[in-house]
Amino acid sequence: MTINSVSLVIAGSGGAGVVTAGSLLLDAAAQAGWYALMSRSSGPQIRGGEAAAMLRFATEPIMSHDDSFHLLMAIDWDNIGRFSAEIPLVATSLIVGDPAHGPAPAALLSGTPRQAALAMTEIAGKIENGRPNMVALGAIAGLIGLPPEAMQAVVENNLKRKGQAAIDASMAAFHAGFAAAADLPAIPKLPAVAAATEPRWSITGNEATGLGVIRGGVRFVAAYPITPATEVLEWLAPSLAKVGGMLVQAEDELASINQIIGASYGGVPAMTATSGPGLSLMIESLGLAVAAEVPLVVVDVMRVGPSTGIATKSEQSDLNIAVYGLHGDAPHIVVAANSVPDCLFTTQWAVHLAEAMQAPALVLTDQAMGQARAIVPKPAELAFIGQRLTAAAPAVEGERYKRYAMTASGISPMAIPGTPGLTHTADGLEHNEFGTPSSQASDHQAQMDKRSRKLTQFNYGDHWADIEDSEVGAGDTAIITWGSSTGPAREALRRYAAAGGRARLISLRLIAPVQPEKMAAALAGIKRAVVVEQSHSGQFYRMLRAFYDLPAKTVSLHHGGPLAFGPNQILDQLNQLNAGSA
Amino acid sequence: MESCAQKKKYAAKDYKSDLKPIWCPGCGDYTVLNAITRALAELALPPEEVAVVSGIGCSSRIPAYTSVYGFHGVHGRALPVATGLKLARPDLTVLVTGGDGDGFSIGGNHFLHACRRNVDLTYIVMDNQVYGMTKGQASPTTAPDWEGSKLTPEGTGINPFQPLVVGLASGANFIARVSSSDPVNMARIIVEAIQHPGFSLVQVLSPCVTFRPEQQEWRDIVRTAVVDYTDDAARAARRLMTDDGFNVGKVLYKGSRPPFRPEFENSNGSVAELEARFAL
Amino acid sequence: MSDDPQNADPIDTLPVLLAHALAMESEAAERYGELADQMEVHRRTAVAAIFRRLEQAEKQHLGNLTEMCSKFELPHIAPWDFKWRHSESPEVIDFTMVHYQLSVREAILLAFEHERRAAEFYAGIALSATDPEVQKLAREFAAEEQEHIGWLEAWLAECGPGDAQGAEDPDPPLCQE
Repeated sequence: MTINSVSLVIAGSGGAGVVTAGSLLLDAAAQAGWYALMSRSSGPQIRGGEAAAMLRFATEPIMSHDDSFHLLMAIDWDNIGRFSAEIPLVATSLIVGDPAHGPAPAALLSGTPRQAALAMTEIAGKIENGRPNMVALGAIAGLIGLPPEAMQAVVENNLKRKGQAAIDASMAAFHAGFAAAADLPAIPKLPAVAAATEPRWSITGNEATGLGVIRGGVRFVAAYPITPATEVLEWLAPSLAKVGGMLVQAEDELASINQIIGASYGGVPAMTATSGPGLSLMIESLGLAVAAEVPLVVVDVMRVGPSTGIATKSEQSDLNIAVYGLHGDAPHIVVAANSVPDCLFTTQWAVHLAEAMQAPALVLTDQAMGQARAIVPKPAELAFIGQRLTAAAPAVEGERYKRYAMTASGISPMAIPGTPGLTHTADGLEHNEFGTPSSQASDHQAQMDKRSRKLTQFNYGDHWADIEDSEVGAGDTAIITWGSSTGPAREALRRYAAAGGRARLISLRLIAPVQPEKMAAALAGIKRAVVVEQSHSGQFYRMLRAFYDLPAKTVSLHHGGPLAFGPNQILDQLNQLNAGSA
Repeated sequence: MESCAQKKKYAAKDYKSDLKPIWCPGCGDYTVLNAITRALAELALPPEEVAVVSGIGCSSRIPAYTSVYGFHGVHGRALPVATGLKLARPDLTVLVTGGDGDGFSIGGNHFLHACRRNVDLTYIVMDNQVYGMTKGQASPTTAPDWEGSKLTPEGTGINPFQPLVVGLASGANFIARVSSSDPVNMARIIVEAIQHPGFSLVQVLSPCVTFRPEQQEWRDIVRTAVVDYTDDAARAARRLMTDDGFNVGKVLYKGSRPPFRPEFENSNGSVAELEARFAL
Repeated sequence: MSDDPQNADPIDTLPVLLAHALAMESEAAERYGELADQMEVHRRTAVAAIFRRLEQAEKQHLGNLTEMCSKFELPHIAPWDFKWRHSESPEVIDFTMVHYQLSVREAILLAFEHERRAAEFYAGIALSATDPEVQKLAREFAAEEQEHIGWLEAWLAECGPGDAQGAEDPDPPLCQE
């Protein structure tokens, strides 16, 4: 069965209250027992730019936006045309605009959507302190079947501090809009949900990322502000303080990575969050963490690159730098979250992996999931806690401690400063087992083997990928994807199955080290595959080609950001694959 | 002279490792290593409660030559590593060692912000006005007319960086200049620097015998500063403005800014409380 | 350092004399050892051997001294509170006084100069101290230093003409990190 959902956009220029309206709507949908996903898009201005809130509501969990929107509610038209590519509208879509602001811009009409007028300014003007955005919300509620009581609760909560008069004014405008919706053309309504059947959370990917690292045991964070990672840090600063940790705002990314290296060397699990430009600056010191075997987590909330690129929009194009960016042979961990709630799982897992293997772990998320807010089932409790193998005393009394001792696992017990008898110098220079600098080929070979072995021999369990089959089985077709592209791929799989198809979704969470045996098992019986990613050069596809045996018929579906794949684009590719093979 | 009651628990050599330094004979850095170990012995700090952090360069080799916890990182990033370590582990005594290139060129931004941030660190910079590890290029503190490097055969033509002036302006809480020709006094000043709360900057005139042999004359040029330290930054700045760089052996400035130390709330807040905020 | 520390507060008790002697002899042994290490690291074996022999001599001296000190409770003296005329104790060669191409002859002369300083230091105490026991012990210590000086004079006499040549190195310094 395909997902029963409704998708809509609220758009307007700065001051129209679009962002606030989107949040209120999401909260009200949560009140109503629905699941939801909300993304935002905005102009380049710090204040006053045009903005759009894209929302999708459903009575079951959703991980992706739909291919098009049912409704565009435009409070005004100022520069909204700029968003036309991000707001796909089709013939069944409905644009509702305020006649006070004139006709809809032509850029929005290429899909020949239906159009209707709602005099938001005029209606709001008749209410003391009434605002057009509340009229718009009322109309949306009426159109999609959102019970007014849900909005009442949210508005009361949000405007508590402003007093009852403000609440009444807002709700009066809302009800006026709700009534006006009766005269608007219909769009799909969602059924009311009697009561939520399971505990749900409202969370953004960036918040989930922050929670994941705290759950994993991180208590020291150093970071430099960068869009779209800043919210991770803004959430972490007060939250860390509450659990006895701290966040330090560093002077730059070179400082953030090295501060967390220092903290982690001191025995306190540490992380930083950044985006592509910041990751580029951190690369040299990530190699230091590899060589000195200092565990740490770096979250890269990817945005469109190269260079400053498009700072506010999403792309999956930091895969190459994350995997190959370090100079020398530098084994490290790269994991990727594949949904808003998975940011929690994956970052918590990353802390566990980094601490267990005394290696840096990069976590790739992206702007799309990082800055999206979702109403999701409450994430499961996870057992992953960062736990480091530490050394407490010399193995033999008086014997010199070997920080980089050769072990079967490649993991050497780490002495934390303060431990008597085990003083040593951790070094980014190649070294022998003691940590003493060495330029001997044999030491280099042995230490390289050890640093590599600890990663390749580690038991990653089933978490290396999410593998999901259509209800009637995998068939012989697979979608291989990662990160944000997993959402639309999941939905494509569902639509494919609804039409009688059978396929398997493989979404890689563990990007490096690669897992050829597990992939071989996952691809057993698969004859055709489509690789989906949001990268102009197909970085993921090339990486798969380099490290895995892919089915003979494997096609790459890739494009750069900022536009995400819609489920139907992937579905079409699946259909083409099978049409070709029939 | 102190009473017999305060017995010394450690000797300077207890802070030295068995590793033999690779520094050229005659290098001022030997003296600095010696002074650091003397200072630690005088403070009777258990070696495991001390950490020495460095970046890259001749002088950045110091950690491995000590018997305390050491961290030898990448070029220019010693101060951030030390900052993270000290903030995460305030119980440790953290020293940072390095050279003029590491600290004032590639790591210059961290130097400014370490002074500003005023974390309780002691930063000992061995200034020899040259890059030794890479065969003697001009450093940020090299005179503009020094023609000893193939990279800058006509001299750099640019003004030398003034570490103490910049350190003072940026907020360093303790500033001193010492000479490697006076190791014992250097030890005394390092003790003071460690004991002084906040960020302490100690510039050591440490000659490079290989690439700047003329610096061996420094031992005859340096003079003990005539005045004692001030706690007035403006007065310290005026002194530095008329200083030729060879007044050594005394503390120049001691500030009273409290060290940066974001408080661990230590509220026994639980992760569950954080999660509760997401629940509907 | 005050201008004339010895006059400011003369060494006039056995524990204080012993504390000075212990510091000086242990530092001298350590320093000769470090200089020998430096020269070995830089493949200056002949010069290294000179410093190594001196290290051994000082260690022997130190052994006797340590035994003597065990009978006393010595005061703790901070490095900068010792009554030395120079920064470090008189017997200790300043690290910056040596160089990579130091000749055997130069090394002996350097050591000679510092052993002489040590002897003078003890002789000065023997003169200035009022306690007869301090005077006696200081004279003994001065005599031991004279013995080292004697060795060095002998070594110097044994020096061939080649020993005056600093080590040659036709290769330029190398790049490291």
